[in-house]
Amino acid sequence: MAVYIQSAAQITIQSPLCDDWFTSPIRREGRYFRSVEPDFKAFIDPMASRRMGRLLKRAIASAMTALDGYEAPLDAIVTGTGLGCIETTEKFLNAMLRDGEQALPPSFFMQSTHNTIGSVIAQRLKCHGYNNTFTHRGTSFDCALQDALAQFELNDISSALVCANDEMTEAYFQLFDQIGYWKAEEVTEAMFHHPTTEGSFAGEVSAAFLLNTQPTQQTFCRIEGLEVLFEPTDERFRQAVEALLGKADISREEVDAVVCGYNADRTNDEVYTRRLMPLFPQTTQIYYKHLFGEGFSASAMGYYVAATCLKRGEIPAHIRFKEGKTAQPKHILVYNHFQDKDHSIALLSC
Amino acid sequence: MGIICGLGCGTQAVYDALRAGKPAIGTVRHLRTSHTELPVSEVAVSNEEMIEMLHLPSDRVVTRTPLLGMVAFQQALRQSGLTDSVRTAFVNGTTVGGMEKSEQYYLEFFEGKHTEYIAAHDCGAGTEQIGRLFGHLDAMYTISTACSSATNALIMGANLIKSGKADAAIVGGTESLSKFHLNGFNSLMILDHEPCKPFDKNRNGLNLGEGAAYLVIETAESAQKRGATPLCELSGYANACDAYHQTATSPEGEGPFLAMTGALNKAGLKPADIDYINAHGTGTGNNDLCESVAIKRVFGEYVPPFSSTKSFTGHTTSAAGAVEAVISILSLTNGFIPANLNFSSAIEESGLIPVTKGVGDVELRHVMSNSFGFGGNDSSCIFSKIS
Amino acid sequence: MNELISTLKQEIIEVLNLEGMTPDGIDDNAPLFNGGDPSVAGLGLDSIDALELIVLMERNYGIKLKNASEGKEIFKSVATMADYISKNRTK
Repeated sequence: MAVYIQSAAQITIQSPLCDDWFTSPIRREGRYFRSVEPDFKAFIDPMASRRMGRLLKRAIASAMTALDGYEAPLDAIVTGTGLGCIETTEKFLNAMLRDGEQALPPSFFMQSTHNTIGSVIAQRLKCHGYNNTFTHRGTSFDCALQDALAQFELNDISSALVCANDEMTEAYFQLFDQIGYWKAEEVTEAMFHHPTTEGSFAGEVSAAFLLNTQPTQQTFCRIEGLEVLFEPTDERFRQAVEALLGKADISREEVDAVVCGYNADRTNDEVYTRRLMPLFPQTTQIYYKHLFGEGFSASAMGYYVAATCLKRGEIPAHIRFKEGKTAQPKHILVYNHFQDKDHSIALLSC
Repeated sequence: MGIICGLGCGTQAVYDALRAGKPAIGTVRHLRTSHTELPVSEVAVSNEEMIEMLHLPSDRVVTRTPLLGMVAFQQALRQSGLTDSVRTAFVNGTTVGGMEKSEQYYLEFFEGKHTEYIAAHDCGAGTEQIGRLFGHLDAMYTISTACSSATNALIMGANLIKSGKADAAIVGGTESLSKFHLNGFNSLMILDHEPCKPFDKNRNGLNLGEGAAYLVIETAESAQKRGATPLCELSGYANACDAYHQTATSPEGEGPFLAMTGALNKAGLKPADIDYINAHGTGTGNNDLCESVAIKRVFGEYVPPFSSTKSFTGHTTSAAGAVEAVISILSLTNGFIPANLNFSSAIEESGLIPVTKGVGDVELRHVMSNSFGFGGNDSSCIFSKIS
Repeated sequence: MNELISTLKQEIIEVLNLEGMTPDGIDDNAPLFNGGDPSVAGLGLDSIDALELIVLMERNYGIKLKNASEGKEIFKSVATMADYISKNRTK
């Protein structure tokens, strides 16, 4: 059964809940940026949000925006989050380490479980459907999407909200800094094109996608398929790509662009080149982490960017990483990996 | 299948303890907490002992949650004889992740000490460590839906296989005790200071436990091709959301009701076909009442024998769905219904009475297992004898 | 007593993060919990708020409750809560 991305919404380090990034992106050169937040009062009344940390508010605002105008029942809510509501987790942990094991605040604990995000969205929508949460580092969103797609395939669902939500607190930024996730110096756009060191820069992502099986005028694109792989051999990787193309009945030459998670980290970026060059030597490449930063939910923005390009029928210059042919895009691959361990590759078409 | 929990290591040890009616609820030994007054169900072996059992290098950076997972994972692989000649996915349920070490070293992390444990904190890190015990996995997934994580891993694995995205899957969950979670549950005031009394009128909360369990699942054709003998059929499963409150279940038990009826529908079974329910039965006021209400809504007048084996194992949270799946399959294959310990009088609103003493020599064809999580993430599955 | 009541209101607003609410806006005798019934006027707090109030009493007034259900009577209104605190406080 064909699955379509009907709508998408994002709250990131670009202007929130709109696609200004497509035409007039905010240049992000530095080490650490927090999301630009919309006015949450438009989505949640203060009494209902009194216990919510900012990630929950972002999750609701992005989900409600993606569902704006959607009246039909929703069969599933699947969330990807690498760390869950880490801000509230830290609050509980700090209280416990500071004050000892007595009189600790339950609200912070309650929000520390990763599934809080998906369940709060379900409560808000009164959605009794399938609800699941994936927390698998840099491919958390990809895993969530795979769950939804498997169920579409089995005709168990005909609509789903698939979300990605991660925040980067000051403390967690520092912790990841200790283990080399971030560059020592400010990351510039030039470094994406010529990475000489390890590390990236930190951003935050809340994104929501509404998927269903009926295309409309507003439809972004079709999801032809997704392959999630662990440490694939080159042969297995090629096989997965061929399977995706075979299912959509297109050749490699017909792929208009590949969206890649280049993040200015030498080791990370080298993987994309190594895996893709033998298969797609001439194909246009798109990058997006220079706009949205790196984080466990960042991969969701790869799909977001690809879907937007397909809907608008163009690939703006500021996201072109490598120039290939410049036709109006019809088929875009979205390729993402985490430390060359977990890989995901999807084909989107319009 | 493989299992490690308070009751012991391996399916035989767990079955023997259930059969003997010997629970594993006691005082903490390994966990560093000041709450020694709270009963828990701790796995007897220490991290160091597990590292030895698994023949890992003694300086290996690994936390208790993946260690427990590795022990159970290895057992499951041995019993199944599964190798990487088939496309195998690993779906792991966990919530605690590396918290057991993070809470110990957190402040020192910022001073640049023990930083090797920073990357071991998130849930996916443990999944990878466990998964590497298998030759070559085709894909890995980590699920975290609190107390229903492992059941949702089972459901995801089944869906991956049915949709052709995997040939076989290793599914389940692992969770160690941590100071963070013990204090978290304590802050919610739902920990019993005595051994828990699921479904009892005077129940007073749950006892936390720890453990891990995994199942190897595949299609009948795949098993036949490998010459493997399946233990049972995963005939039905469903996931639903209560969508009511972040920690409490709705009074009418909508999520649990939808999960149980969904599983029955998927299996093509009637409520009367279920011979035993391994209930979620945490021992909290809210869960046991709402689960009882939901059970009555599904099964009507004739509620099948049911029990909560959390009275033996404590609540192993993210692992519970897999621990209880293994117990359900042991019940099914041995014709044995384990007891619901510490029960004396029924909840007034429901009047439901669980099985209070283990019953052997019964013919079980279909066993239902319930797992309900915080946030109303409710799932049920049904294991059936192969006809 | 009046002083305790106004301190308590301030603490409740802070602990429960009741954005936009002022101490003057809380009636001493209005129910804190309406049991989900919107027709009952009051703050409309829920079971998690009750647990937070228990933590507040323990932290600020040295009163420890063993069982969450004990809170039911105590947290009827700010006035009943203040009354209980004034009788049982250890700090």
